[in-house]
Amino acid sequence: MTGRTILLVEDNPDDEALTLRAFDKSNIHNKVIVKRDGAEALAYLFPGDGDGDGNGNGNDDAPYPALILLDLNLPKVGGLEVLRRMRADERTQMIPVVVLTSSKLEEDVLVSYRNGANAYVRKPVKFSEFTEAVKALGVFWLLLNEPVPSVAPKLGLR
Amino acid sequence: MFAALLEAVPDAMVCTAADGLVVLVNAQAERLFGYERAELIGQPVQILVPDTARAEHPSHLAMYPADPQHRPMGAGLALAGRRRDASTFPAEISLSAIDTGEGILVAAAIRDVTAQLRMKDLERASESRESFIYAVSHDLRAPLRALSGYSGVLLEDYGGVLGEEGRGYAERIVAVSEQMRDLLDYLMQVSHLARAELHLESVDLGAEAARIVEQIQRREPERRVRFTIQQPVPAWADSGLIRTVLENLLENAWKFTSGQDDASIEFGTAPSEDAAVCCYVRDDGIGFDPAYAGKLFQPFQRLHAARDFPATGTGTGLASVRQIVELHGGRVWAEGAVGVGATFYFTLDGKEST
Repeated sequence: MTGRTILLVEDNPDDEALTLRAFDKSNIHNKVIVKRDGAEALAYLFPGDGDGDGNGNGNDDAPYPALILLDLNLPKVGGLEVLRRMRADERTQMIPVVVLTSSKLEEDVLVSYRNGANAYVRKPVKFSEFTEAVKALGVFWLLLNEPVPSVAPKLGLR
Repeated sequence: MFAALLEAVPDAMVCTAADGLVVLVNAQAERLFGYERAELIGQPVQILVPDTARAEHPSHLAMYPADPQHRPMGAGLALAGRRRDASTFPAEISLSAIDTGEGILVAAAIRDVTAQLRMKDLERASESRESFIYAVSHDLRAPLRALSGYSGVLLEDYGGVLGEEGRGYAERIVAVSEQMRDLLDYLMQVSHLARAELHLESVDLGAEAARIVEQIQRREPERRVRFTIQQPVPAWADSGLIRTVLENLLENAWKFTSGQDDASIEFGTAPSEDAAVCCYVRDDGIGFDPAYAGKLFQPFQRLHAARDFPATGTGTGLASVRQIVELHGGRVWAEGAVGVGATFYFTLDGKEST
């Protein structure tokens, strides 16, 4: 189970620290890759596509993440754009994406679902609720939920 | 006859002949521009045009009779008029050509739009203020989450090192963060409501109240409270917002009867002279001192100390109620006495008047 990685796309270092700790405390010890803006996330998901060096970023053997936690308000490339590009590419089309954000604007929720988000969670301010939310997400998407059956595509393969 | 007609028009009217000289004005024009009639007749109409626009005016004037349709002047342009004291005012001007038999007159109707422009500015300013408040209260949540989060980490991971007193302080940081979160939520709600459009529809307030009561009871099934809910209570309202009103009022009633064994809470309607519907939520709980009734609906005001009622919240519930009801064109008020209970009233307008 620990072989399945989580991709956390989050630019706020505090939210990153608290999310990582929450996973740890919930005994979810899957590898967590952190990308701090949308461009970094895209370069990770589509190596060779974004940074132009064509070397695949050395991620060629890394499996696609089993779960992506995506903030909306990100530097460079926004979360929605990341989501849109993921859904447009068959390699990343079906990876569960949970939008994890501060916004509770109806339009943000709506446009996230419209672009193929699997869930939308507003980051709770209260520490215990935040920890519970991260734990619940990990447990549901990594343990309970049956992943898309596939031949485990690898990053960098076309 | 024509001159009498001119006086009856609400706008200032200035008529010029083909040579650009003023031949006729009405009293409204005298008032607007600050000239006596005699001072204007025979003068070039340019004296009513601000200096900045005067150079181009004669050529425009000369062109108008060539295409004499009734039309607003300089559509989309910011037009202005010039008073006798050289001050200017923003204006809306429409032109028409009148064939008098002795040549064509150009009639200009001039309206001072200072007030309209100021209203627009105010609206724009208030709109940007509301979205500023929204953005700020949204952005403040991130550092607040960190504050609450790290205090929580201290408690969980370093509780032993902190000692009892240290843990107490960390707990207070967590509690205060939550309080601030509630205040930010309220600010966001207020700024959101200020920009909100009401989606009015027919709602049964009685059915809504019954649903809310069911939810409240399920939370504390051991409490014995007698509910009396009038049904149906048809009203014309935004269903989402009016549910917030009922929730706040019924939650309050539930909260302030919590110390009683045999409390009763009632939702019903009262006769009203000026509104389509007048509803009330009544409880026989701890009540309030009528001297402070005016403070009830102000934000961040609490009549009961937080230490007596830990669940009192931030004192924004009734302020939200008032804002929503007033948005619907209704009003709110409360009656009560200490130890006797409280009744909260709100009115809603009918379909026609909203």
